[in-house]
Amino acid sequence: MSEPDHPLPNDRQADPRGRDAERLPEPGLVPGSAASAGTAQSVRTVEVGGTALQVQTYPVTFTGDAREYFRIWIVNAALSVVTLGGYTPWARIRTRQYFYGHTWVDGHNFDYVANPWALLRGYLIVAAFMLVYLIATRFPFKNSEYVVAAIAVLFVLVYPWLVRQSMRFLARTTVHRGISFRFLGSLGAAYLSYGLANIVALFSGGLGLPWALFMQRRFQVDGLAYGQARGHFRGDVGHFYLIALTAMGISIAAGVVFAALALGVFGLAGLFSWHPRARSDLSLGAMVGLVAAYLGLLLMSGVVREYMRAAMMRSVLNNVELGGVVRLGASFSPWMLAWISVSNYAAQLVSLGLLTPWAAVRRTKYVLEQVQVRAIVSLDSFSADTAGQESALGEAASELLDINLGF
Amino acid sequence: MTQHQPDPTETLILRGVYFDGQSSRDREAELQIRGEQASLKIMSGEPLPQRQESWPQRVLVIEPPLTRVRRVIRLPGGGRFETQDDAGVSLLESRTHRNWGLGRVRRIEASWGLTLGAVITLGLFVWGFLSFGLPALARSAAAATPRSVLASFDQAAIKTLDNGSFMGPTHLGKARQAQLQAEFATIGKWAGGNYPYRLLLRNGKPATSDGAGFAIGANAFALPNGTVVMTDQLVALSRNDRELMGVLAHETGHVTHRHALASVYQGLGLTLLGTAITGDLVSAGTFAAAVPTALLTNGYSRQAETQADESAAAYMLGQYHTTKPLRDLLARLELDDKNASEGDVKADVRVKDMLQTHPGTRQRLDHLRALEQAARK
Repeated sequence: MSEPDHPLPNDRQADPRGRDAERLPEPGLVPGSAASAGTAQSVRTVEVGGTALQVQTYPVTFTGDAREYFRIWIVNAALSVVTLGGYTPWARIRTRQYFYGHTWVDGHNFDYVANPWALLRGYLIVAAFMLVYLIATRFPFKNSEYVVAAIAVLFVLVYPWLVRQSMRFLARTTVHRGISFRFLGSLGAAYLSYGLANIVALFSGGLGLPWALFMQRRFQVDGLAYGQARGHFRGDVGHFYLIALTAMGISIAAGVVFAALALGVFGLAGLFSWHPRARSDLSLGAMVGLVAAYLGLLLMSGVVREYMRAAMMRSVLNNVELGGVVRLGASFSPWMLAWISVSNYAAQLVSLGLLTPWAAVRRTKYVLEQVQVRAIVSLDSFSADTAGQESALGEAASELLDINLGF
Repeated sequence: MTQHQPDPTETLILRGVYFDGQSSRDREAELQIRGEQASLKIMSGEPLPQRQESWPQRVLVIEPPLTRVRRVIRLPGGGRFETQDDAGVSLLESRTHRNWGLGRVRRIEASWGLTLGAVITLGLFVWGFLSFGLPALARSAAAATPRSVLASFDQAAIKTLDNGSFMGPTHLGKARQAQLQAEFATIGKWAGGNYPYRLLLRNGKPATSDGAGFAIGANAFALPNGTVVMTDQLVALSRNDRELMGVLAHETGHVTHRHALASVYQGLGLTLLGTAITGDLVSAGTFAAAVPTALLTNGYSRQAETQADESAAAYMLGQYHTTKPLRDLLARLELDDKNASEGDVKADVRVKDMLQTHPGTRQRLDHLRALEQAARK
């Protein structure tokens, strides 16, 4: 597995800070003096090529509260329904703002600054397509099958573009310390990682899937920028295959155990059923066995899927680098996270969805509080990218095309 | 914390952090609002290099409030002022009448009582919409749908059903067929609505060479534009043609009320509503969403069946002055027993009832009998 506690860089040391560079190092300013939560914890000195570098580790803290979020969530739901979906963009923004606003690094939180009208426009476009699609699939009007096919093909063709637009939207609307993130991944890279890679994964019988997932994560991280600091993904595809193999091994082992258990239940039910009316006993036993096996399989596939998600997330987080001066580290256990996710599903199901806010806060808190930001510069030394600022027209055009599909 | 004087001209001082939008540097700052003027004072670090520190207060953008999240005021030129002084910012908002709507939302979110009120409103709204709004909308949409759409529905459905894996050609003799067709023609005239009524007699067993497929058995059903299908098996189960005519009148009831179309629209409405609540397309199709959708759809379907039964009863009471023939056939169908009679049918458990597309047979029998008794009075 990935090394969660390695010293910072040895490869990329290009200074991303541009004209702010001469200001560093600057121990005088205490970060987060005006804010409440989260201050730097540990400072370590590392020798890299004869130069001493101070590696400062900042923990991430999450101050969200399940009961508080429950009220926001339920009011969001009520207003969305009463306005027949019209409030949904505002609901989305409040949800995001709550989670961003309670995520702290070095005394400062994040902010989500999406324009609700832009979100609404995106939703309306998607809703229009969906309505046409639904009508075309349900009403056999003349040539309706061509309409269905055209929408499906169109979606497949523009999917990578949509992903890229969504990433741009998400990055542009995320603000930390007064600077917004940006996403600079190219269209070609989007079609490679979300078009070609998915096709390869589909036609290679799953063999290409870890590679596709790797390409997608790399596209996401490499395209990211915070001010002038560009993201860099240090992971390699081997990790992804290792995780997939682990998940596969667990699935096979669990499958064997369940098959044995199911056989056992069937066998026992048959063995004790000597009574003349054994048929009904047998079918009861078989029913219980079948239901148990089904639930078991459901649980198993859930655990395996969540493990894969968690392990990949951890691997990705451990390989994120920003501008050669910041690295992330994730020390959460994929198994613990898989357990949290699966038990969250169960809780949501049992509570008819009412525990959804609790589940979201629980998972977010666990993940974020096991993430560390390690930097060899002070976090207040990043600059906004003023050189590459788009013209107002270009900005407006790209904002018009940036659609958030909820990725 | 800010001192709150009622005097609106009082200077408002907010303490917080300032980011200039050019770098990630945080500067301790004070935002002072004095009348119509807002000015920024940097408390630590180097002073602002040649930047305007004073603006009319109305050009400041106050981000909407959210419980316990640091307040943000966006300044002209890309600067941001962030503060924990929620009370101060709220005072500024109320003084300058900003964020009125989302401020109200925040107040609801902050209180359990108001949240509960929101939940009750939500419940009432959903209940009202699902029991009255959506069926009414679906009914009007179905009524407004042009005949050509109905006709293409029938064509497409018959093409699928006649592919051999559901049913085959009827084994009834020519004379018997003609007799049933003639009797159905009377019902068609009675039902009205100017639909091209058509009775298709079919064998309810798959016509594939190996018998594979889905046997529909003893059954009858109507397509939206007046095509009614009845199987040989149902004919065989009947003791007289009055029973069959009861069934066919029931089916024409589905046609004249446009139940099939209404159910399509209701399904569409439920999908859209689910998407609006959950906010995305994917989760609307998941298991958790599918179960309530199926329950609701079954509920609409049971209402439609009751309505069709009432049509059948109206026809039978007019023609035969009794609904007994239909009740007898229903009982035989229910118990799958050629000798069963009405009294043999037991009442269903209510929970089981919810899972079915038709009302419980006992309930239907009682309803049909009640209609007959009401007509006799």
